Amino acid sequence: MKYIPTIGIECHVQLSTKTKLFSEVDNDARGKEPNSCVSPVDYALPGMLPRLNGEAIKFAIRAGRAMNCEINASSRFDRKHYFYPDSPKGYQITQFYHPIIGEGYVELPDGKKIRIEHAHLEGDAGKLTHFDTYSLVDLNRVDTPLIEIVSMPDMHSAKDAHDYAKALWRLMCYAEVTNGDLYNGNMRFDVNVSLAEEGAAELGTRAEVKNLNSFKSVERAVEYEIKRQTKLLEKGEKIIQETRGWNDATGETTGQRSKEEAKDYRYMPEPDLPPINLSSEFIEEESKKLPLMPKDYKEKFTGKIADDTLEVLLDYPALMKKLAETKDVKRVSNWFASVLLAEEKSAEYLNDLPTAKQLDDLSEMTKKGELSSTGAKEVFLKFFDPEMGKRETKVIAKELNVIQENDLGELEKIVDEVLANPATKQAQEDFKNGQEKVIGFLVGQVMKASKGKANPSSAQEILRKKLA
Amino acid sequence: MRIASKEISAVSLVKEALGKAKKYEDKNIFVSLNEENALRKAKEIDEKIARGEKVGRLAGVPYALKDNFLSKEGMTTASSHILEPFESPIDSTTVKKLESEGAIMIGRTNLDSFAHGSSTENSYFGVTKNARSDERVAGGSSGGSAVAVALDIVEFATGTDTGGSIRQPASFNGVYGFKPTYGTISRYGVVAMASSTDCIGFFTKSTEDMDLLMEICSGQDENDLTTLPDYYLDSKIKPAKKVGIIKDFDNDKVDENIKNALKEKVEFLKKKGVEIVELNMPTLKYALAVYYIIVPAEVASNLSRYDGIRYGFRSSEAKDLDEIYSKTRNEGFMTENKRRIMIGNFVLSSGFYDAYYLKAEKARTKIIEEYENAFKQVDFIITPVSPNPAFKIGEKVNDPVSMYLEDVMSVPINLAGVPSLAIPAGKTKEGLSLGLQIVGPRRSDKALLKFANELKEESDA
Amino acid sequence: MKITREDILHLAKLSNFSLSEDEIKSLGTDLENIIGYISELNELDTEGVEPTYQVFEMENVWRDDEIKEQEASREDLLNLTTESAQDQIKVPKVL
Repeated sequence: MKYIPTIGIECHVQLSTKTKLFSEVDNDARGKEPNSCVSPVDYALPGMLPRLNGEAIKFAIRAGRAMNCEINASSRFDRKHYFYPDSPKGYQITQFYHPIIGEGYVELPDGKKIRIEHAHLEGDAGKLTHFDTYSLVDLNRVDTPLIEIVSMPDMHSAKDAHDYAKALWRLMCYAEVTNGDLYNGNMRFDVNVSLAEEGAAELGTRAEVKNLNSFKSVERAVEYEIKRQTKLLEKGEKIIQETRGWNDATGETTGQRSKEEAKDYRYMPEPDLPPINLSSEFIEEESKKLPLMPKDYKEKFTGKIADDTLEVLLDYPALMKKLAETKDVKRVSNWFASVLLAEEKSAEYLNDLPTAKQLDDLSEMTKKGELSSTGAKEVFLKFFDPEMGKRETKVIAKELNVIQENDLGELEKIVDEVLANPATKQAQEDFKNGQEKVIGFLVGQVMKASKGKANPSSAQEILRKKLA
Repeated sequence: MRIASKEISAVSLVKEALGKAKKYEDKNIFVSLNEENALRKAKEIDEKIARGEKVGRLAGVPYALKDNFLSKEGMTTASSHILEPFESPIDSTTVKKLESEGAIMIGRTNLDSFAHGSSTENSYFGVTKNARSDERVAGGSSGGSAVAVALDIVEFATGTDTGGSIRQPASFNGVYGFKPTYGTISRYGVVAMASSTDCIGFFTKSTEDMDLLMEICSGQDENDLTTLPDYYLDSKIKPAKKVGIIKDFDNDKVDENIKNALKEKVEFLKKKGVEIVELNMPTLKYALAVYYIIVPAEVASNLSRYDGIRYGFRSSEAKDLDEIYSKTRNEGFMTENKRRIMIGNFVLSSGFYDAYYLKAEKARTKIIEEYENAFKQVDFIITPVSPNPAFKIGEKVNDPVSMYLEDVMSVPINLAGVPSLAIPAGKTKEGLSLGLQIVGPRRSDKALLKFANELKEESDA
Repeated sequence: MKITREDILHLAKLSNFSLSEDEIKSLGTDLENIIGYISELNELDTEGVEPTYQVFEMENVWRDDEIKEQEASREDLLNLTTESAQDQIKVPKVL
């Protein structure tokens, strides 16, 4: 029997607004002490009311547009109730009945379109750390704004799931709505996997693998689930609808205690927040602020950057933005590609990119022959040097002593000196007798005499003229 | 209002108020007194006056705070066990505004725990007695505040009105009690009951005092996104030419004393040349059912935060996390709290949401429309606040439905969000206070107070 | 509507109350009466009527995205809890 897998993904994206969704405390708690980014509203003191961050609405519009989604003119918030120490209010403020983002789609590299069912704004939960006999509660993350993106079950392989997760990550990063730091949980994926016999009219029972935070784990979890469910079905067993956890070390999913009764969240319209009714002008104005998306860059750079290089570089939105500001995209992208591909430190490098002027100057100097390709790379690397990086390209090149000698008069003098040197006599003779290879030795001598600053092709040209 | 000046000192006003509060200790009006802070603040005000510095519009005026308003002074209990102990690190907006004008809080008044009730019998700290009779209830949930003003202990007191909790105790004790248009006064820092109907208001002895308090405490608050920019719309201020009475409220369940009080006022208005219009508002009879669906739903939600984890009481019996929740909540809430939370969870639970909660929110639309239509015909509506004067302590407390029926004439106003002022309307032969309420269209608050003043002046004359 | 013991236990669970036997009985009676009363709303025709969740006439009320000092500090807040450790709230181990 052949089984067709069907996959749907829910993705939580932490928005990179300055403040939280419902209070004016710092939204970026990375590296901060526990409970240091907590307002009385987040702590849910009695009588506290949510203070909606308007920026989150604007971020949601951009995120929606990045996924080709409709933006719903009317939306509002709802409460989702559950008791847990990570939820101080005893409910999460979310958008259950009237989400802000409507239908849309995300395109995968192979051209498949994955439909978006909807996406909504909501607040994140706090964090628990477990010890032997007790747990500690840190509320820093409470009500960090999230958008939850719900896909249609349009994926049918682990690769689809991987590509979708990655495409979504790129879109959200390019839309500049998230820091996209997967390691710190900025994007978290819940993956629903079901199998159905080929040709079956209905989908099979699904299992949901929660809280995956890398594309690789999304892919592996789906692979594992397909295998697990296939085995069960082949044995004639039933798939239980349940939530499963992912163990990255073992590469397995495990069933979490399946609750007999489905949770009843008792959703209720949030009475403390007025409804959101956006004018088409407002939506349009925010939509216009959507920065260039990966597909825009692809269009822009096709022909200038090799397809496979472009595919690599697209993982770095800030870099693409920078490339778009530079004049010689081909050269600059090559430098980045070679640095990124060669160096492990790529991410670190990209935190602080050179200015467009530095890069343009570097291109210009290379084009003029003032820098050899090796010299140019050396200068390029120094752009990322904490001490030298901020200096002008020329200053760096001088400091590295890699500017090539292009003054032909000056060069001719050096060539004459080299030819006058008795140590080159034999070589001159050999060349004149037709030994072409010897020219390399002579050029080398010129380079040596010029302390490496001579432009080798100019040196060769002069040598040939003199020896003719 | 008596304000501290060179003639009367703030200290003497506060001392007098504290003295009276102690004299009426048996009435169980206060959950706690704020003696030390109050006297210190009074002294500061007297010193300011002596130095010739500018003082606020409420300088040295003693007031009582319903104990569901957060204040940094003392404990905030909402008359519950589950907030024991809770010392608020912040002040509610109302407290901030009152204090910035120099008002001095002398004590925190008793209420039905979390404002769930119509008698102040559901308090963790015992029953508050009616100002006129020790056998009778004070009304509720703002019972303590109403009695504190009625017995002249303080010049004014704060209240919250979710379904009548200011107006009914005001009428049971013979003072003014105002529930403004929804959103007029910030709810920030007030223990939430039902967010979509909760209103902050006051008890006073005059409409002028009420007007001043409204002016001071109203306005948009960045901490409450459901606040209106102003206290009233000028366009809504007009002399009352037509006043409505609601036919549907004229039935045999209404006490004769109250019927007569209403008749007197109506006659008086007629004499003044005001046209009386009989209104048909047939949906109002469903308002109580609507109210006891929507409000418990919001109550269940708003009271989810009381869990023993971050503040207040945590059950010492709890052995694990599940028990921290279930034992703390079971021991910390009173029976009426539990009834409402469970009803709320019933109407919101899957399978019942559409039939109860959603249906009620639709019915609410019809109720609102009924008021809108009424106000096309009349400027104000005058009705009883409750079907009867103060009932006996213990009479209804174990029969929730009969207790809820107390609210039948007050809750439709909260559902529609319109303003309503309870006004004193004489006494029964036994000396029990009677009250009526005047209801206006949304944001007619100032006009309503003006109209009430006219009613009083003439009938007193 | 008949409210069974199971109904009460289910609502107690949703509400997070560890009700005593007596309470299960008395609240059962109370809730049955209350639900009986509110069920009268069934009579009212609400066909085609839009629900009203709020009686507030404004919309799109939100604030700017600027960090502001809060009225209570971490210490103010954590002082309110029964038990804390390492600047966090301490609870029995969550399973």
